[in-house]
Formats: sequence, C-alpha cells, structure tokens
Amino acid sequence: MIRIEVRGLGKSFPFQGATIEAVSGVSFAIAKGEFVALLGPSGCGKSTVLNMIATLLRPTAGEIYIDGERSRPDRPHPNVGYVFQRDTLFPWRTVADNVGYGLELKGIRRAERVERVAACLAQAGLEHFGTAYPSALSGGMRQRAALMRTLVVEPQILLMDEPFGALDTHTKIDMHEVLLNIWDREQQTVLFVTHDLAEALTLADRIILLSARPGRVKDSFEIDFPRPRDAVTLRETPRYAELFSQVWHSLGEEFMRGRRP
Amino acid sequence: MTSLRHNLALFGWQMVIVLSVLVVWQWAFELHRRMPALIPDLFDPYFISKPSEIFDQFLVLSCLKTRMGDWTLATPDGFSRCLARFDNNLWFATWVTLKNTFYGFITGVSSGFVLGLLLGRSRRLGEIFQPSITAVNSIPRIALAPIIVLAFGIGDTSKVVTSWVCVVFMVFYNVFAGARSVDEGFMNAARLLGASEWQITRTVVIPSTMAWLFASLTPAIANALIGVIVGEFIGAEHGIGRLIIESEARGEASGMMVAVLILMVIGVILSTLIWRLQAYLLRWQAETGRGVE
Repeated sequence: MIRIEVRGLGKSFPFQGATIEAVSGVSFAIAKGEFVALLGPSGCGKSTVLNMIATLLRPTAGEIYIDGERSRPDRPHPNVGYVFQRDTLFPWRTVADNVGYGLELKGIRRAERVERVAACLAQAGLEHFGTAYPSALSGGMRQRAALMRTLVVEPQILLMDEPFGALDTHTKIDMHEVLLNIWDREQQTVLFVTHDLAEALTLADRIILLSARPGRVKDSFEIDFPRPRDAVTLRETPRYAELFSQVWHSLGEEFMRGRRP
Repeated sequence: MTSLRHNLALFGWQMVIVLSVLVVWQWAFELHRRMPALIPDLFDPYFISKPSEIFDQFLVLSCLKTRMGDWTLATPDGFSRCLARFDNNLWFATWVTLKNTFYGFITGVSSGFVLGLLLGRSRRLGEIFQPSITAVNSIPRIALAPIIVLAFGIGDTSKVVTSWVCVVFMVFYNVFAGARSVDEGFMNAARLLGASEWQITRTVVIPSTMAWLFASLTPAIANALIGVIVGEFIGAEHGIGRLIIESEARGEASGMMVAVLILMVIGVILSTLIWRLQAYLLRWQAETGRGVE
C-alpha cells in the first residue's frame, strides 16, 4: 500500500526578477511502514520537497497524494506529523504542556492527556523534566521533547526535516536510538530529510538521492541492514562501509556540481 | 552573609542621600538668610516649600490636624467632621484619582490589546487603518484634555477618557509590533498539529505577544496617571490634580508638594505591582540561558 506519492513535483521561486528552480520533476512513492531518507547536498531542495508534502509550501508543478488522496494546499493531513529542523517548542509552555499540545487541540480531556504525555516523556527519558520550561533544557532534550510533541498524537506518517542537524555527533546517535526504538514499535511511514549520509544509512530502508539544484531524483538505494538496528555497532559492519562508499560516490558528484555557480 | 552586608551598605548610602537632600531643602535658605555672603540663594520656600511645612500640610490635608493646629483625633468626632467639611481631603482625592487611573488603565490596555492583535494579525485591516492611527497618534494626547472635559463634563468620566487616550496608543503599538513578529515556526508547528486559526491565535499569537504587552504596561500606568491629573487640572471637583490647582490658587507650595509626593508614592506602588505581575506571568522567560547539561 502506497502512503505518500509525489508525481512530477516542481517548485520555482521568483528571485531578483528571475525565476529560480529549486525542485523539478521529482517523483517517488513510499509504501506503508517504509522509512525513507531523502538525501542530497545543501540547497538541493530536499526540504522544499518535504515542506510541499507537509502543505507548508505550495508546489508550482506536480501532484502529491497522501493515502491515495490528492493533498490540498494549506490543509494539513491529520495523519501526518512533522518534526522541524530547529525545535519549535513554545517557550511559554512547560515541557509537559508542549508535548500535550496536540492532544489539547483535539479536545482530549485532561486525565487522558496527562497519562499519554507521561508515557511519551518516559520514552524520551524526559520524565523528570515535565514541569521545566524548554529554556532550561539542552539542545538534545529539546529536540526529544519536540519529537514527542509530534508523536503524542500518533501520526501514521512522519515528515522529518533534518531534525537532528543542529546536534553534536553523540547526541545525534542518542536521538537515532530513540527514533529507531519508537519506529520498531510503531512502524510509521517516515520521510526523513538529511544531508548526513551516516544518518541516512543508520535509519532508512531506502535512500532517495536528490541532485544539486534544481533537485531531481538522481538515484535510489536499498539499505538492507537487518532490523532492529543498533545505531552504534551498525557503523562497524563491512556492509555499512560498502553501502557508504557506494552512496558517497554518487552524493560526492552532486557536492561537486553544487559548488559550481 | 556578604550579600546582607552589601545590601545594608547600599541601604545606608541611599539613606544618606535622602537625608542630605531633606537637610539642604529644610535649612539651606535659612542659612542663606543668616549668612548671605557665604551660602548662595538656593531654595526659596515660597516656591518649593520645605520638609517641615510639607509635613504639617500633609497632616492638615489628610484631616489629621485642623488648620488651627489641633489634632482631630483628640476629639471623638473631630476626624469625621473634618472629612465631611473638607470634601477634597487627601484620602478622598487619592481614592478618586486612583479609581480613575485604574479605569483608564484597564480600558486603555484592553482596547489597545484587542486593536493591536486585530490589526497586527489581519494584513488588510492593518493596511486600511495604519494612516489614520498614525495621524491620531501624532496628536499630543494632552491637547485633547480640554475637549474631553468639555464633552464629558467635570465628573469622573472625562478623567477616565483622558487617561484612556493616554494609554491606548502606547499599548496598541506594542501589541501590534508583537503580533506582527510572531515566529513563523511556532505558527507552522501549531498548524501542522491541526490547530484552527482561532486556536493559533489563542495558543500561539497571544502568548508570544504577552512579552510585548508587558513592555508597554509600566509606561502605560504612568501615562494613565498623567491623563487623570491633567484632566483634573482642566476641570474637576475632586482628585489630587484638583488639590494641586487649589493649592496653587492659594499660593501654597506645601500643598502642591504634598500632592506631588503622594503621586510619587502611587507611581512607585503601581509600577511595583505591574512588575510583580509581569515576573509571574512571564516566568518562562526567567529561566532563559540556564542549561541542564
């Protein structure tokens, strides 16, 4: 069953009188429960693709289907959760109130909210920080809370826009473990945008490689590591090195192309 | 321990400054009269009175002493008779001024807040009203006071309206700027979690505008008081502003000084209250910059 499908997706922006093509003719389909990484050099339009699927941006060409239904601009799909590049926790709410925000919007009563929030906080190792304000938390903890704010409403499709891009390597691997744990249990359909190949290999079933601007689908790689995966030991296996160099070669070409003006 | 000693020293120095001002105020002119060659003509009590006179005047205006110098509390009904005879006594004048300031402040802040939110969030309304608001805002508010008193009479209403005029624009501009600068990321996060436009306004726009609103409240309370006092100058039966005008007519600097000092105390108390309220409502800001790791 196909959950996300994009056909001939394109986006151009007006820029200083000219038109810049950010994304052009992007087509792919993601099956239910599949974890797909959208990989590409900086500025290749991978976040633009994701934001169009999330209805944050309006495509200038092509179509998007969620669960076979054509997605309408400005009308977020209730089954889709989104995790931002920088954490967008509300600084005026405590961590628990941030995580419970989506439930509050749905009008779920307090007792159930408290219970579900507590379960989410425990999953993210934040059980002692529910009453703290986000400003008191470290970057990694904030991003975990932001992830839980998205997951608490149990979306079946997850769109993630370089959610761990601002974290240091160790915190990032911690986050990978948290995410893999959750995914092993919930089996959401995930589209994960990143420029970090190691991250894509650790997490994804499949990597879709975008070319330098204008972004087009250049290549697709099946990542066949067995599940459940261990984010740390995975990197020491020979298969990891093999896949890494295979994708790296293709990605490297785009880095070089992207550098030229 | 050091912090206690530090605070004591601080308090000591502050007291020294206050006392020396009082001492100079009280005796400088006296000394000048005795030794004109040595001490310059500093403070003429005709214009600025002096602490002892101000204190006496305070007792008289607050009905604690009669003009003859007798304590009203010495006789059973002296105090209440004085209050009844002297209808703009300090207690009643303070009450009237405070009440009108409060109403002016509350109406000004709430209407400024709603207006700022509406015009800040609706691009179209903002564009339509921007020129007229800029035009009205460039009128010195005080210039409207005589018109307002003419229109609303010398009762409390005109004071509340003057006060409102002095508050509303300041709050409006702050909230307007705040509503315009709400973080897009917060709005998108709410929208993608399924928030309706009204839910976004309630849970994202209003909380993130609060800091801007509070930034305007301390000057707003000061302006509310200014509005009431000016309204009372133009025409009133009661109030601290009225007390100042009456004292001026009698050429009594001490009465004016009592009124000014009372206004100072009111101003300090009101801004402290706002500051407390702000510290509580914006407590999430206080933790900024503290990390756990």
